Amino acid sequence: MRKFYRELPPLALLLVALVVVIFPYVWTLLTSLKPEAAINRPLDWNFTPTLAHWQRVLLESNIPLQVRNSALVGLFTVGIALLLGAPAAYAFSRFRAGGSSLRFIILAAQMLPPAVLIVPFFLIMYNLKLLDSIWAVVATHLTFALPLVTWFLIGFLDDVPRDLEEQAMIDGCTQWQAFYKVILPTIRPGLGAAALFAFILSWNDLFYALLLTGKESATLPVGIAGFWTFRGIEMGQMSAAIILAILPVTIASFFVQKYLVRGLGGGALKG
Amino acid sequence: MHIAFRYRLLLPLITALLLIVGYPLGFSFWVSLQDYRLTAIEGATWIGIEHYIALLRNNSFWTALRNTLVFVATAVSLELLLGLSLAMLLHRRTTLGRNFFRSILLTPMFITPIAVGLMFRFLLNSQLGVITKLTEAIGLRIDWFSAQNALLTLALIDVWQWTPFMLLLLLAGLEALPEEPFEAARVDGASAWQSFWHLTLPMLRPTLLAAIVIRMLDAFKVYEYVYAITRGGPGESTETIQYHIYRVGFLYYRLGEASAMAYVLIAVILVLVVTLFYSLRRA
Amino acid sequence: MKRFLLKPLLTFALALTACAPMTTTPVAPSPESGPASVQPVTLTVIMEQVPDYDIVAELTKEFEAKYPSINIEFEAMPYDAMRDKLLTSFLASKATYDVIIVDNPWMDEFAKAGFLLPLDDYIAKETGYDFEDFVGPLREIGRVEGKIYGVPYYNYALGLIVRQDLFDDPDYQAKFKAKHGEALQIPTTLEGYLKVAKFFKEQGIHGIAMQPQRGYKVFEEWKNWLYAAGGNLLDEQGNVIIDNAAAQKALELYITAYREAAPPSSLNWGFDESLRAVAAGEAATMISYNWMLPTLNKPDGPAGNLAGKFALYEVPGGKAVLGAWHWAIPKNTASADAAWTFIAWLTSKETDKQRVIKGGAPIRVSVMKDPEVWQKGFGQQYYETVLKILEDAEPLARGTRAEEIINEVGTFLNSAVAGSMSVNDALKAAAEKTREIINRP
Repeated sequence: MRKFYRELPPLALLLVALVVVIFPYVWTLLTSLKPEAAINRPLDWNFTPTLAHWQRVLLESNIPLQVRNSALVGLFTVGIALLLGAPAAYAFSRFRAGGSSLRFIILAAQMLPPAVLIVPFFLIMYNLKLLDSIWAVVATHLTFALPLVTWFLIGFLDDVPRDLEEQAMIDGCTQWQAFYKVILPTIRPGLGAAALFAFILSWNDLFYALLLTGKESATLPVGIAGFWTFRGIEMGQMSAAIILAILPVTIASFFVQKYLVRGLGGGALKG
Repeated sequence: MHIAFRYRLLLPLITALLLIVGYPLGFSFWVSLQDYRLTAIEGATWIGIEHYIALLRNNSFWTALRNTLVFVATAVSLELLLGLSLAMLLHRRTTLGRNFFRSILLTPMFITPIAVGLMFRFLLNSQLGVITKLTEAIGLRIDWFSAQNALLTLALIDVWQWTPFMLLLLLAGLEALPEEPFEAARVDGASAWQSFWHLTLPMLRPTLLAAIVIRMLDAFKVYEYVYAITRGGPGESTETIQYHIYRVGFLYYRLGEASAMAYVLIAVILVLVVTLFYSLRRA
Repeated sequence: MKRFLLKPLLTFALALTACAPMTTTPVAPSPESGPASVQPVTLTVIMEQVPDYDIVAELTKEFEAKYPSINIEFEAMPYDAMRDKLLTSFLASKATYDVIIVDNPWMDEFAKAGFLLPLDDYIAKETGYDFEDFVGPLREIGRVEGKIYGVPYYNYALGLIVRQDLFDDPDYQAKFKAKHGEALQIPTTLEGYLKVAKFFKEQGIHGIAMQPQRGYKVFEEWKNWLYAAGGNLLDEQGNVIIDNAAAQKALELYITAYREAAPPSSLNWGFDESLRAVAAGEAATMISYNWMLPTLNKPDGPAGNLAGKFALYEVPGGKAVLGAWHWAIPKNTASADAAWTFIAWLTSKETDKQRVIKGGAPIRVSVMKDPEVWQKGFGQQYYETVLKILEDAEPLARGTRAEEIINEVGTFLNSAVAGSMSVNDALKAAAEKTREIINRP
């Protein structure tokens, strides 16, 4: 019994943290279900829930198109990042290619503030006639997704025993076959986690998308940002759109959390 | 021509990064040396380092840089403190429902920052905000977005979203620590506080360093909260560097000047990271 | 594993082929082929996402019935996104937008950068268009270096919106008389406004729902105060005079009003917040767009049972800040003739009358003087007041760098209201910054 009492203070603290984290979600969800008049009275609980905001967002707005654009941008970004990042990560992990300095240069690319890259990207896309297309956004998202995926996979590949591909090569595989037939399958969770995390980052980006997209190519964060401007506000619809944006990502996060530490470390946390 | 296998593996990535990072960086530097304006793209003229010289006496730019540094320092230190406390709590074997708490507490870091910004703008709004109304009900009148408080409020929003990231890394760091030194300390009669101060912290240092650097660099990019809530105001009190560059480049259309600002920003960050690394490594 | 890699590869390949039809090219009518409506054309029109967009979209159905070969596609977006998007379209090889709206501070900048098509020839050829019928100050905004680049679409002139019932309340009238020895009246000077505002604050209702938000909003609101005090941003010769005695007085009074008569913690308030405060009955007056009056007085509108109790007047001092949207045609559109056909139809006397009756902001004198509009719209008094406001209004800002001046000056003004800069320092800094912006090569 005494032991139980000792557990109360930490539990209480964690509960407080839990409430702080959950409250904004709950409130936003509630707001998306409130009639416009009830939103103006925050502490009034006496309202009839309505699906009007959801209806407008899902059926009459551009939000569904923007969800599609965000998903496409995320898929292409992740696909390209895995195609290019996985072999490179293998080279870093197995052959120490380029030494540790090259590794860090690649990581540094991920850390560059977007403000540095947006001006050249805007002009390049203007010259390539790619403004207002999702390809412009994919290219900018690759600037953080490529280093991230590479770095992520190095951490996973470092844990794969070397005997594995040596055995495969004895069995007649080429170096390349040993990599993609033997090694890649063993880090499947890592690939999944890297893909999911890169997708989340791409899904969440506002800065690049805001400046490079237009009517056809706007992504979801761009759409959400449009709900509250200095000349107009649609609180209920905005709340519905926010829930729409955070729900899939939050669910995905439960799958990716477990692997995140291993990937983010990329060897740095061990040393 | 034969290229070693390892370089063949690397080549696609390196090529891609040169194309999407290297080339834009070089191009951006070239732009920063010209009078590049979006309303007269074809008529850009070479002006050398004039933009850089003009930046020296550009008060708004330095205000934005100072605001960003204050924001980063406040947010990251609070995140470190809270993240470490929560990590210690979740690390205890005896804590009930550890996995449940962990998976919920980590969720804010996965949400798009613009949504976080708009949610808090709504929650803290002086007319409609439930948090404002609740604090008023207990007699506490807080003007979250006054000239004095706004930057701090934005930092607190950052704390809400990114403490989970600290928590994640520190929890991993704690779990990787060996058991023996702690056993030995307990046998010697060390208090929980003593073993935290003399064992946990020193052994955790590499993780702490990595976590601080990653968070710092990320916090430098703060843009969405400013865009969603204050647009740099009141006055210039929440004008951050990323927002300032956006404003000069894409609202005033002066791309040359914006590029020069971006380069100065890189230099500042570089100096900061290197100093931090050396001072923390040595300590 | 193979499946895992295959999928993105496949989608990538698919996307490469799907990439092509993403841009739809409007078919251009060739100039020689006579009337613009021979080949089918699709016009993309950029609009601000506000209620007046709905009115235009509804009216456009009639246009499409009349001109079956011209198809109109609207893209409505929030104000903040428009400046980037317009620029992107100007710079694109093929214009995204064939018909655009231009905010008043951007007119000189876009016209002088060569992004817009001069409309003089079109206007001259259009029979019965009567360009001179647009209210003078609005018409002039569209004229840059002697050529017309924009046709008025919507006025954003500011007026004084008040709760008439409070001013008419005998109880308040008696109290005001007892205190100040004069009748409680709609203020026509800054001092009078301050007196009335403070009086209402003492009665437990905020005197003014102000909009001191940094940048555009505070500049827009305060400039009315500046006019009333006899000041301006530039004098007739183009010298910056925003730090003279009149400006000092205007800013001091404005700050006093904020501290003593506005709702607390309203330093970041803009259009929405002040509207909400007035609609909820928390504030007695505000300086806002003239066309907010019908919205407030609408029976099922935001003001609930206060609807019908609001009235519109000229701002104290009489001279108002004028904002406006203008229709324009980008130079890089492939369908300029069709674009003009649409603009000319929409801004013609007949269509404009329909638009105003449905609640759009008036721009034509003849429409505001039309008894049918009075009767079907919001009454004679409203339109006469709006016309008076418009005739004595001056644009928010002009010049190729108006956007930057508005934002920079608006930052210093907001700093002064926040108390982090003194009135003197803020105006000095604003003047210096404005000079720097204007004189920059």
